[in-house]
Amino acid sequence: MVKLDQINISNDGLTKFFSPIEAAILRALWAEGEMTTSELTGKTNIPLTSVAGTLDRLVKAGYTTRRTEKVNGRVRYIYEPVFSEEEAANEITTKILDSLVETFGPLAVENFSKYSDKR
Amino acid sequence: MNVLLGELHCYGQCLRSWAPFVAIFVILSIALITISLMLSNPRKKFRIFLFAQSAGIFAVALTYYIMDCSEMLSIYLYSVYLLISTLMIFGTLRYYDRIMIRKLGAKPADSFLNWTQEFVEMLTSAKLYYFDSAIPRAFASGRSIFISIGLLEMLDDDELKAVLAHEAWHIKHNSGMPFMKQLALMAFSLSGDPELECMADRFAAQIAGSEALSSARDKVDKVFI
Repeated sequence: MVKLDQINISNDGLTKFFSPIEAAILRALWAEGEMTTSELTGKTNIPLTSVAGTLDRLVKAGYTTRRTEKVNGRVRYIYEPVFSEEEAANEITTKILDSLVETFGPLAVENFSKYSDKR
Repeated sequence: MNVLLGELHCYGQCLRSWAPFVAIFVILSIALITISLMLSNPRKKFRIFLFAQSAGIFAVALTYYIMDCSEMLSIYLYSVYLLISTLMIFGTLRYYDRIMIRKLGAKPADSFLNWTQEFVEMLTSAKLYYFDSAIPRAFASGRSIFISIGLLEMLDDDELKAVLAHEAWHIKHNSGMPFMKQLALMAFSLSGDPELECMADRFAAQIAGSEALSSARDKVDKVFI
């Protein structure tokens, strides 16, 4: 997780765990599968200025992979998500549950079972 | 404070009769800087600026040479400063490209886009490398030119030629670069980087056409603003 060390409970959706640009890029990649840089800037509507650095970071953090391809003699990056949306959700929830149990012990586990009973 | 006053007093004592000679060089240096600020031709501006810096350093050297005093604290400090800056400039500028190749994981560009290396060789003897980053960047160091894949993605062939010609100009004039930086540090002034960029752009416009240059500039500047 790029920013899982800083969870922001008051934010909406994925931006609890990712920066808004990271979240927008991941959502686009989960929806489309493979995308070029210009497709990403078009789909997310975020200028290349902000996207380029974030893409480098996502690749470094292991969230996306990219390969280069030559189309009509021009070089293109093709991005692909490493995890599916479900795999990412799985990793996030496991990490958060781990840290809750580590901090609060049995109380946390008790609350989880109450929570699943309620549902 | 006492040390500083002592230093100033000592300079006054030592320089007394020679002070006008030193003053001539200081005034000459200031006059040349003023002239260079007023000029618009980057090449002339750059040359006059180098002369101004040289005059400033000559004033320092003259002061040192004609002084009877020894063991002056400021002279010691200046010598140490010179030694460190010389080591840093000639040490790092010489090996910087090798450090960058390793740091960026850069690879020779001829395996990737074969015309680019040939194009660079027509202009100067330099090796072209590309590196993995979406951020559009190009820079020259030693006898190497580096371009990011992000930049390759963004530019068409003519614009890329303009960027490569700009960087090739830097390589051509790189041999004087350490001396220029050294001069600037010795004179406690800036080096004429904006003028150099301007000259590199003029060269790029000659090689690739001013249209390709300005559209490449447009694209890159938009990203860096």
